[in-house]
Amino acid sequence: MENSKYISKNRNHSIERFTKAWAIFIKNPMGKTGLIILLVFMLMAVASFFVPLLGPVYHPMTGVDPNITYSTGPSFQHWLGTDFIGRDLFVQLLEGAKVAFIVGLSCAFISVVLGTAIGMISGYAGGIVDTILMRIADIFMVLPSLVILLILASLWELSIWVIIFIIAIMRWPSVSRIIRSQTLSLKSRPFIEASRVAGASNFRIIFKHIMPNVLPLAFLYMTFRVTAAILVEAALSFLGFGDPGQVSWGMMLQWVWSSGHMFQAPYWLLPPGICISLLTLSFYMLGRAMDEVLDPRLRKEEEGE
Amino acid sequence: MTEEQNKQTPIIELNGVTKEYCLKQTFFSKGDACVLATNNIDLTIQKGEIFGLVGQSGSGKTTIGRLLVKLEEPSKGIIKMNGKPIHDLHGNALRNYRSKVQMIFQDPYQSLNPHLSISETILEPLIVNKIGNTITRQTKVIETLEIVGLSPGEDFYHRYPHQLSGGQRQRVAVARAIVLGPEFIVADEPTSMMDATIAIQLFQLLLDIRKKFNITFLFITHNLAAARYLCNRIAVIHNGVIVETGIADNIIKDPQHAYTKKLILAQPGLSLKK
Repeated sequence: MENSKYISKNRNHSIERFTKAWAIFIKNPMGKTGLIILLVFMLMAVASFFVPLLGPVYHPMTGVDPNITYSTGPSFQHWLGTDFIGRDLFVQLLEGAKVAFIVGLSCAFISVVLGTAIGMISGYAGGIVDTILMRIADIFMVLPSLVILLILASLWELSIWVIIFIIAIMRWPSVSRIIRSQTLSLKSRPFIEASRVAGASNFRIIFKHIMPNVLPLAFLYMTFRVTAAILVEAALSFLGFGDPGQVSWGMMLQWVWSSGHMFQAPYWLLPPGICISLLTLSFYMLGRAMDEVLDPRLRKEEEGE
Repeated sequence: MTEEQNKQTPIIELNGVTKEYCLKQTFFSKGDACVLATNNIDLTIQKGEIFGLVGQSGSGKTTIGRLLVKLEEPSKGIIKMNGKPIHDLHGNALRNYRSKVQMIFQDPYQSLNPHLSISETILEPLIVNKIGNTITRQTKVIETLEIVGLSPGEDFYHRYPHQLSGGQRQRVAVARAIVLGPEFIVADEPTSMMDATIAIQLFQLLLDIRKKFNITFLFITHNLAAARYLCNRIAVIHNGVIVETGIADNIIKDPQHAYTKKLILAQPGLSLKK
């Protein structure tokens, strides 16, 4: 009885903390704009699951309109027109949104989880462990990820998941650097020592005391990683080394270029380009707004408590 | 005085404890720059007393406290608790030792994790030492909160450190230190961040706790007046060396060492007898 009362009260507090942060976030015009753009793209990504149900013509990869043998402009049947073999561009655009989300979010997730874990261990353990982990991070940090992806992709046909994994592997070091420095400053705080005096194990100190303090920062870097991952994947696909079985915005641009429609078909060239810019922009704006939630110094004077 | 000393038994003994901090030897610099934080310290703390360790900033008094709770290891010398050396404790023995020796830190704003509620902070020692179950732990926490003067305990149970004042936070820190029922507590300048009235209240709390649970205190301070108010015996430490030990009143009335005299003169309200 008593027990459940305590727990429910506890949950209320974290909800309260969240609503407070949310209020600051949504007050920020950048956060609001970013969120609206993001919602539109989410809607597009969700729609990509349903559009192919309209008929085989609307399959992004294989749906060829039998009546069309060349690229046509916008029409009632094909809202954005078709590409050179009669595939619907709007459907491809929706599919691209889905792929961008998958690539961006899973890349960011993998690299941030990896980076946070390594950063916390490195900062907390110190000494030789720290040296080894950070030298490995340095090595990964100086590797040019796009070039390495290009080389690997020219040797083997990489599926989208392999590409995601490689981008994620290339992107953890900067996260782990930041988490490490945060951990270093947390490690010497008296509350960590107090918990050690109480007899807490290293494992407990890392996950109970350090992690909640670095997690907001990790989330922040996650939004910036999303942007980077989407751009790398788009660049790779545009250069023709993407997953050949997967439509993406970069791939659409590649097809415009390779089929020689670069300057003949603006209805084909512009949408994927604009989408890439807008989606990365929206994640960037989210990150900036989150930054403001985390760092009170960035807030405007009038909002100060 | 001698009679009183005779019936007391030592709880903590330091024999020739030296702590050196050295710069690490790296590729670019030779590691020969060492700082002696404490030099050859001999100290005996009797069961049940409040022992004051007085000295200026940088005199090594905090280092001694940290050595006692094993946040640092001595470079030389032996620390004994109840006659047993503590330097080679591992695993369960170490956890057992830590449940007996607790610490109250200087800055109550830094010593509580801002992400944990008061209850989570005080529950932690109970959880890591696997004492009781969820329900008994909660009762214990509320009890302890009321002992340290945060009552009703239920009111404070779900608060977070940022919702408390400095004095209240330090009471939470005291609660965390006593929740395991320790035998010995190191109080490292617990009132240095508070104003005088709040400090007196905290002193009173420490005295109450000592009476109630028979806990021995090592009270680290730079404030001779506070040491006199609170402590049975004090030691004056200067540059890592103990220059004078004795009954608190005797030392303040009749200081032997030049440094102790300087300390007394520096303290408003205290003066040397001509």
